[in-house]
Amino acid sequence: MTNSNDNKKSLKSFYWLWAILTALGIAVSLYAPGYLMPESMSQTMHLSVLTMVVFSVAAAPVAAGVYAAALYILRNWTHKGDSVPAAGPAFRESGKVVITWTLTSVLLTVFLLIWGLGALAADSAGSTANPLVVKVVGQQWVWSFEYQGQNGTTVMSNDLYLPKGREVLFHVTSLDVTHGFWAPQMGTQVDANDETITDLHVTPNKLGTFDVRCTQFCGLNHAFMVTQGHVLTPSAFTTWLNAQPARS
Amino acid sequence: MTTTLEHKAPVIKHEGGGLARHQNFLTAMIGGVAGAFIAWAISHHFFAQDVRTTSDAVAVLTGCGWIVGFWLGIGALNAPLAWLIGSDQTRKDQLYYAGEDQGTKRYWKYCTDHKVVGVQYIVMTMVLLGAGGILAMAIRTELIVPGNHFVDQQVYNGFIAVHGMLMILALIVAVAGPWGNFVVPIMCGAKDMAFPRLNALSLWTLVGAAGLLLTTLAVGSLTMGWVVLAPITDQAGVGMDFFALAILVFTVSTTVAGVNTICTVFTMRTKGMTLERLPIMVWGAIIAAALGLYAFPYFSLVEALQILDRTFSTSFFIGNAGGTGWLQANLFWLMGHPEVYVILIPAVAAVFEIAAVMARKPVFSYRTAVAGMVGLAGLSILVWAHHMFTTGWAPTLGGPFMVTTELISIPTGLFFLVLIGTLWRGNIWMKLPTVWVFGFIANFIIAGITGIYLSDIPIDNQLHGTMFVTAHFHYVFVGSVLFGAIGALAFWYPKVTGRYLDEKLGRISFWLSFIGVQVTFLAMFISGLRGMPRRYASYAFIFEHTNFISTMGAYMIMAGMLVLMGAVIYCWNHGEPSGSNPWHANSLEWLVSTPPPLENFDVLPVVTEDPYNFGKELVRS
Amino acid sequence: MNRTKAIGIALTSVLLGGGALALAGYSLASATPHQTAQKCVPNPTKVGHCTLTISSYPDSLAGGHGKDGGAHPDWVSYLNQDLSVPANTVVDMVVNQYDGGEVLNNIFFDQVMGTIGNVAKYDGVTLSKVAPDHVGHTFTLRGYPGLNGQSGKRIFLNVPLIANEGENAVKIGSGEYPKPVVIEFSFKVGSKGVYQWNCEYPCGSSRVGQFGFAMASYGYMAGTLTVE
Ligand code: HEM
Ligand SMILES: [Cu+2]
Ligand SMILES: [Cu+2]
Ligand SMILES: [Cu+2]
Repeated sequence: MTNSNDNKKSLKSFYWLWAILTALGIAVSLYAPGYLMPESMSQTMHLSVLTMVVFSVAAAPVAAGVYAAALYILRNWTHKGDSVPAAGPAFRESGKVVITWTLTSVLLTVFLLIWGLGALAADSAGSTANPLVVKVVGQQWVWSFEYQGQNGTTVMSNDLYLPKGREVLFHVTSLDVTHGFWAPQMGTQVDANDETITDLHVTPNKLGTFDVRCTQFCGLNHAFMVTQGHVLTPSAFTTWLNAQPARS
Repeated sequence: MTTTLEHKAPVIKHEGGGLARHQNFLTAMIGGVAGAFIAWAISHHFFAQDVRTTSDAVAVLTGCGWIVGFWLGIGALNAPLAWLIGSDQTRKDQLYYAGEDQGTKRYWKYCTDHKVVGVQYIVMTMVLLGAGGILAMAIRTELIVPGNHFVDQQVYNGFIAVHGMLMILALIVAVAGPWGNFVVPIMCGAKDMAFPRLNALSLWTLVGAAGLLLTTLAVGSLTMGWVVLAPITDQAGVGMDFFALAILVFTVSTTVAGVNTICTVFTMRTKGMTLERLPIMVWGAIIAAALGLYAFPYFSLVEALQILDRTFSTSFFIGNAGGTGWLQANLFWLMGHPEVYVILIPAVAAVFEIAAVMARKPVFSYRTAVAGMVGLAGLSILVWAHHMFTTGWAPTLGGPFMVTTELISIPTGLFFLVLIGTLWRGNIWMKLPTVWVFGFIANFIIAGITGIYLSDIPIDNQLHGTMFVTAHFHYVFVGSVLFGAIGALAFWYPKVTGRYLDEKLGRISFWLSFIGVQVTFLAMFISGLRGMPRRYASYAFIFEHTNFISTMGAYMIMAGMLVLMGAVIYCWNHGEPSGSNPWHANSLEWLVSTPPPLENFDVLPVVTEDPYNFGKELVRS
Repeated sequence: MNRTKAIGIALTSVLLGGGALALAGYSLASATPHQTAQKCVPNPTKVGHCTLTISSYPDSLAGGHGKDGGAHPDWVSYLNQDLSVPANTVVDMVVNQYDGGEVLNNIFFDQVMGTIGNVAKYDGVTLSKVAPDHVGHTFTLRGYPGLNGQSGKRIFLNVPLIANEGENAVKIGSGEYPKPVVIEFSFKVGSKGVYQWNCEYPCGSSRVGQFGFAMASYGYMAGTLTVE
């Protein structure tokens, strides 16, 4: 057994495999997030789905490269028979490869970071001067929502009603343990903490119903701390609001 | 064919030493139960049961009684107590505690031989994984269809928390415990660990902690997820106290073990074993140990404050009394994220080691491998708040934490470079350990990429707290760490038992587990993407198909694990004999006989090069 | 090892292990006490109506939690917690409230919601809202029916129970209670499913929200309503 075997092979089939897997990955990336994630009812959700797509597309060649390499290795370089395999080529370092690899991953990471920070900024900006303020109260194991009614009264509801096209600012809080206020179709969530108010804003851009679920484990009936939201036209929203009994 | 294995050597009766010569697991259990009972009786007498804080005090004291009794019963305190009263241990005593001539009995004892401790860790890991696995099956069975069918939500919630915690404990020790103890000292050319008694202490303390953790199930309430964060902890019954205590005791175990590993590697290496000649596995063991030494004190702190909040009505974490749950969340994740890498790094290092030996090639870019592990450990202490993106704790810190978190993908990427580079152009020996290594690669890439999604705040705002997260970390834990750990088991099993872990059984187990992981957790990704939150005892009907598929996949994984367990048990005595160096490797653990003699080396070897020069392989049996 | 032997050992492991697991799971599941749901009694005079009577107590001594109140005699409780009603009926519910009470965590629950007419009768007086600082427990039913993939209709129902301030007068089980405040209300149920209900009055101790203990445990202040 000597060290003569250097196992050099043509890499053509590796590149082919890589390309095909990448193409497959990209195809899935373009299609899957939109198909699998809940219907988008706000710009925030739209951005979230889009970011999923972008990240998946960016990740596709990386994952494909690793899979292609693993498959190529399995295909070409496994030792046959029962004997102990001879030593492989004893290369230990390749500055070139390490640097290329590291630079590539740095570049990819920087790209993802720029995209991510940009998306974060885009989502945090754009607060209008006159948002609709809704107080979200989480408590074990029911959501309730408080609105400012006519003449400074308060209106309370178990369903969440929102007008289309107007920015909504949620003041989220809890009366007991921590809950997670999440509206999947709106693409955003924040915890409801006791003794604290956290803010969340979203602008619904589609009429229809959406879900509200609790995402922070909150005890016995956590799984049942769900309710429904409705995006109404602004006039229907006003009608609804005015029809509610004042609570204080 | 038969081989005489040292652990079946005749048992020689020891004289002297009195009662201390009869201590074992059984006396430890008796001691623990007696201690718990005495503590309970006394504390119960002083603190009546009806006021809640006093019943918490009773629980905490009872738990303390258990652990002290357990230590006394196993003999952990013999040597220190003897030293206190001025009677030092003789060489004979030391050899007795090292398990000399005690046959298989020594596996049930407070034994200071690092190889015995290693085997004890194998068993311990399998017990913990088995218990956690049973709960995983219970969870998945409950989720097979929407609605509550087998257990109510209270029981279910308890299953989730205890499953999570058992599995985390199991994986913290899954590689570092068995192999950090069994092979790392031999790899360094040491006769034993630097502190053999501490080694035994770390193992038996872990056993004691596991006892406390299982008690939480018996006393019925740890229904808040394994992270156990305030304020909901305040609503928990005494299960919470046992849990907190279990963690305190557990951190004692990991601290002791970590110090021991590091000291062993830095002070006990044989002549010529420079740091750069260390097998890569050793680097993984010490980097993880060092990271654990940084991380676990936060864990003890969190649980200590938690106990104070519960027993003395302090308010560190109670919002309406001046504290804040966010303090606890921060402390917890300051531990929690590094802990993920305490779990991951040894498995990665083991995979590197196996890849090099099986490809018959040096580890590609050894220094990059070490730098990658160090870099990962270093970064991991700066990313904790990515677990708190959606809490509202510090919205302006979102950006910075997103940056540190995404930087993690660079060292992680280096792992793939090292692995692929090591296998590239090798003569790959497709034995059982290698199979699991390829499984590791396939799963770890999915784990890594889904982690990048979650580090991005606009995505995390959607996916946080959903089954997507659960699927992501199961790709890390099950798909990557557990696969790596099983690869390591298959790789070093012959060193422990002198027999191969059967190739065919191992492959059946691999395929069941590998396909099972894809089925279970890919479907779970979809559940999450479609909007199913985690820790839900029941779910809306739109999640029904993916949950059903996940449950079927989980049963496949279970079948795979059972086959593996069958193989481990069967092959222990009936497997095909392997000789002392079945993989024709060069690191020192393969150069000693199998099983290795009591103090590993008669004459300490002198090392002249690293273990990866397969071409120049010496002729050996 | 040859192939047959390997397959043999693999099958044995799976069968033994899986069998042990299934057996353990089955015996555990059948060992845990399962309450038989209290059935809604059809009303002989009103077609499509049925009557369901439950009670709320300041402790667990009224029977139903084992001898002398079982593990936690001092925990507040409802009896029964698991209820069953036929599909597409009007449920006429009667709650006998034996417990005192105080302030709600959230005044949202001082209102009767989701019953027919959004009202309830309190000792014969019809109200749509009670004083939020004078509430015993609440009967709050909500959510989607989670059962075998049926979509079903979402329900949200809340009825606050007025605090009972009477002197002890009656003996039930091993407990002594005042004469109950009787609360009556009706609601419609649709197709099959299982709903969860619980109390929203903070009646379990703990420093946070007072939702610990009785409130955090199944079988005291929470239960199911099965529509079948
Ligand atoms: C057969 C393999 C396994 C299956 C089928 C499985 C299944 C599950 C399921 C269904 C959950 C609950 C998810 C939720 O609703 O949040 C869960 C939680 C969890 N599992 Fe596993 N699991 C397996 C193995 C493991 C392993 C090996 C680990 C190792 C660390 C692990 C760690 C966890 C953790 C940390 C949690 C979170 C508990 C919590 O939410 O507090 N699991 N698992
Ligand atoms: Cu909640
Ligand atoms: Cu983390
Ligand atoms: Cu109540």
